[in-house]
Amino acid sequence: MVSDEMETEGKPALSEKEWQPKIIAFVCNWCTYAGADLAGTSRIVYEPHVRVIKLPCTGRIDVSFIIKAFEQGADGVMVSGCHPGDCHYTAGNYHARRRFAGFRDLLEFCGFDMRRVIFSWVSAAEGKKWADLVNEVVGKIRELGPFKEYQNLLAQSAL
Amino acid sequence: MIEQIREKAKELLTSGEVKVVIGYENGGMPETTRPVFITSPDEVERLIWNKHCYANLANFFVRKEVASLGKPAIIAKGCDVKAITVLVQESQIKREEIVILGVTCEGVGEPLLSKCPICDVNTPRDYNFLFGKEIAPKNGINKSADVEEFERKSPEERWEFWEEQFSRCIKCYACRQVCPLCYCEVCIADKNQPQWIETSSHTRGNVHWNLIRAWHLSGRCIDCGECERACPVGIPLSLLNRRLAKSVKERFGYEPGYDQEKAPPFTDFKQEDSQEFIR
Amino acid sequence: MSRIGVFICHCGENIARTVDCARLAEESGKLPGVMVSVDYKYMCSDPGQNMIKRAIAEHKLDGVVVAACSPHMHEPTFRAAVVQSGMNPYLCEMANIREHCSWVHTDRELATEKAIDLVRVMVEKVKRNQELFPIRVPITKRALVIGGGIAGIQAALDIAAGGHEVILVERQPSVGGNMARLSETFPTLDCSQCILTPRMVEVARDPRITLYTYAEVEEVEGFVGNFKVKIRQKAKSVNADICNGCGDCWNKCPMKKIPSEFDAGLGYRTAIYVPFPQAVPNTPVIDREHCLKFLKDKCGVCAKVCTRGAIDYEMQDEIIEAEVGAIVVATGYDLYGIGKEQPNERWKGYGEYNYDTYKDVINGIQFERLLSASGPTQGEVRRPSDGKVPKSVAFIACVGSRDPEKGIEYCSKICCMYVAKHAMLYKHKVHDGQPYIFYMDIRAGGKNYEEFVRRAVEEDGVLYIRGRVSKIYKDGDQLVVVGADTLSDSQVQIRADLVVLATAMVPHKNAYEFAQKIGIACGSEGFYSEAHPKLRPVETMTAGIYLAGACQAPKDIPDAVAQASAAASKVQLLFSSDELEREPIVAKVNEVTCVHCRNCIRVCPYSAIDDKEIRDRHGNLIRMVAEVNEGMCMGCGTCVAACPSKSVQLAGFNDEQVFAEILALGHE
Repeated sequence: MVSDEMETEGKPALSEKEWQPKIIAFVCNWCTYAGADLAGTSRIVYEPHVRVIKLPCTGRIDVSFIIKAFEQGADGVMVSGCHPGDCHYTAGNYHARRRFAGFRDLLEFCGFDMRRVIFSWVSAAEGKKWADLVNEVVGKIRELGPFKEYQNLLAQSAL
Repeated sequence: MIEQIREKAKELLTSGEVKVVIGYENGGMPETTRPVFITSPDEVERLIWNKHCYANLANFFVRKEVASLGKPAIIAKGCDVKAITVLVQESQIKREEIVILGVTCEGVGEPLLSKCPICDVNTPRDYNFLFGKEIAPKNGINKSADVEEFERKSPEERWEFWEEQFSRCIKCYACRQVCPLCYCEVCIADKNQPQWIETSSHTRGNVHWNLIRAWHLSGRCIDCGECERACPVGIPLSLLNRRLAKSVKERFGYEPGYDQEKAPPFTDFKQEDSQEFIR
Repeated sequence: MSRIGVFICHCGENIARTVDCARLAEESGKLPGVMVSVDYKYMCSDPGQNMIKRAIAEHKLDGVVVAACSPHMHEPTFRAAVVQSGMNPYLCEMANIREHCSWVHTDRELATEKAIDLVRVMVEKVKRNQELFPIRVPITKRALVIGGGIAGIQAALDIAAGGHEVILVERQPSVGGNMARLSETFPTLDCSQCILTPRMVEVARDPRITLYTYAEVEEVEGFVGNFKVKIRQKAKSVNADICNGCGDCWNKCPMKKIPSEFDAGLGYRTAIYVPFPQAVPNTPVIDREHCLKFLKDKCGVCAKVCTRGAIDYEMQDEIIEAEVGAIVVATGYDLYGIGKEQPNERWKGYGEYNYDTYKDVINGIQFERLLSASGPTQGEVRRPSDGKVPKSVAFIACVGSRDPEKGIEYCSKICCMYVAKHAMLYKHKVHDGQPYIFYMDIRAGGKNYEEFVRRAVEEDGVLYIRGRVSKIYKDGDQLVVVGADTLSDSQVQIRADLVVLATAMVPHKNAYEFAQKIGIACGSEGFYSEAHPKLRPVETMTAGIYLAGACQAPKDIPDAVAQASAAASKVQLLFSSDELEREPIVAKVNEVTCVHCRNCIRVCPYSAIDDKEIRDRHGNLIRMVAEVNEGMCMGCGTCVAACPSKSVQLAGFNDEQVFAEILALGHE
């Protein structure tokens, strides 16, 4: 089970320290992951607050991943893949784009803070774009602070 | 009109063309109706038709108990027929294996349900037999006036509103059970490996459930409003559904329930689809 | 309970400089299910790999996480290493703490925190990894070669010589490509057609090669080992089975003034024609845009004179479908358009050279035709305007290439050599003539190339002037070439009877559309992209599709032939086994929960998912579900996200794994 094994783990509590933004990024393997690799190879320094989860394609990204990430305390979520026409699987990103479009409309309607969900296309050649984007997102999330509205949901109970 | 329906039902059952007629009968209380499954020509007198026939009976096609009875005929309003169209489109039923007893409808409920004033299918778009006088579709109705009204609120107000609404959800899943298009045998909400929807009674899991319920109906919901009608705590689910309908219409030029040949919008794409939100 | 090993690489100091590897090992060791956690200077080294192998045996590990560089670098290395210890390779994952961490962050503490998170994510994922086994798919041992120039011919001959069937498709009525248009070739001055035509004949004669000329590839579907292609055989209007190539038809055709494409517009052809005398096949085609029968329903002379009755005006285009296992793309090149009309906005042309206006300003391939014995002047150098033998000729190098202002930055590579050859051949034919060459610098890097250029200068008296030409204008019946001589720092004016522009090689004008059609990548210039510029120069990123010749980059004949042979050997390597091993990252349907909404079937980019009937033992249909053809599934997972009941899962990236990764980040 996912949760059981993790209850017991030990990790120094960051809470005693200064709050740091927590950002989870869902990226495709062929474009954005490789773009982030290129940022590394090119030694472009950027903010260390993004945790990348690699999927084969943006087409694999379920909108529930985004909700799960916020449930796990993310202050921001990035979703990034290949530019249109550039998908390794020819069309996965086109399907993804429709889903993200519809789902973000739903989130926005619910008053969700849309500055915390960032969709982008970053190609394997765009290491610089990735680094710049991460810096910008981290800067914005720092400004916004912890995603209290979402994190508070846990405390609320219907009963 | 009901006499003609009963007559047709009797004829279909007697000839054996259909094995069951799905319709409405009087409920136990005044001004209520309930679904009825007529399998014998002798029982057609139980069928009724009035403005309390809310239920979208298309919900029953995909139920095994009903399917096992044999070829059905169904009494369907224009909105119910839209659900049937989506079910055909999603290969849940074959159009030729059902008989639609279409009824023209000027609206149900007292006062009218919120879907009725914005209805453009008072005469069903598809049927085998039509009952009642044809009603020309209204022109120029704004199907998302309530959505636009709500969108005038600030994000904070909207969040506060839905947070309060979702906090009252008891995850009874009546919204799902009553929905003619929620036909998965194992719902995402029932999956625990991994756990998609948190089961504990906090708002966080409720938010996830309500977002996903609406999301899974995006581009599919035909606004029968049954989910909202069934919700015991009164969450305005139709408002969410209509927001997504607006999104799909504006972005992809698509309205569900009108054309069973079209690809559902989230299984299709165009190269030039909007992406103003993507960096 | 899982038994995971975590192996942390310092990568020398690449990682260790920024990430506290000792602390990372310590923290990783505390993660539930982690049996062993160690750090080492170079995990990819032999001792490093041995450390992993030993630990697998010693601690009975059932999962390995290597925290090191990008999986794009060393995942194959470590997966191969765990296999040697009897572990399934898909139980080994990498946490990228170099490219995604140590190389891009400076704050040691935050970088170490991030590295710990990245390891935790992978530990939680690997706990849920399952053993996966390569998928075997059969290979169709037949190759498609697109393009019948020298590269395509060479590739086809080599593959056929290896014992495999080849389908060779050529757009023009004859194979031969651009090489057939050349007079002699550098640096040996071999007659181009003399060395090419035996190959052309061999292609037609080899029973393993099926040749379609006047045909184009219309569609490519499928994947490595199992492509399905559609070829459009354009209507030749001549029945090739009956025609014996006697030539009566084209000799009698009244339409005699159609500019010949083969002669680059310097000569003429008829409406029914073979492009050149040595054409293979030697069957004419009717150019319906110029034929009176098709334009006005008149004439019909060719049908009347054909004693064999081979002319068929009713012939229609035909679509030929074929299954092939590998594809070699050898679609060749075009020349930069010098004149006013350009195929794209970036290219500006050379209005100042008056190519469009002055008949005696010609391009490289036109000069080849003037030199060629099969050309419009039978090999005598006579200028187009008045047929006079030019007594002075100015050659201008780098026309189009190496000039970002004109739209092309790259070096066209072959021009330095062909200019030297042109000047030399001119001198050989017009002994009292004077060739001048305007050049930027001379790039003669090739076997015997520099010697060849020296020979042009020293033995044949070619005058090289280092500088660009700013304009060309007419004075009497001569052309005045105005340029700079940067070595003497002066303006020069040359009076020339003929000017030859060494035009750059450019990709085919439909190169991009064609790349899209067959599913390969293409650089911004339009040359097709190789999988790796150094280590995989003949493969494309699409498995099973290879490149040969100038469609990938400007090339001379030996380079094109070498690449063609390399591509052919790659094809034979692929064909050397009966089955292909594919990564088992494929989708699978849970038939119990699938409700057959067909979302997955609709979204699959590869049409790899189909309807499946579930029947009881009496054969009665119970219900329908979706089914993935794992041979065709490429593993994108678009179907998984489209499935409302989560009844499709992608091996290696299933929902449980991804959720575990997300949840691993939930702890503070």
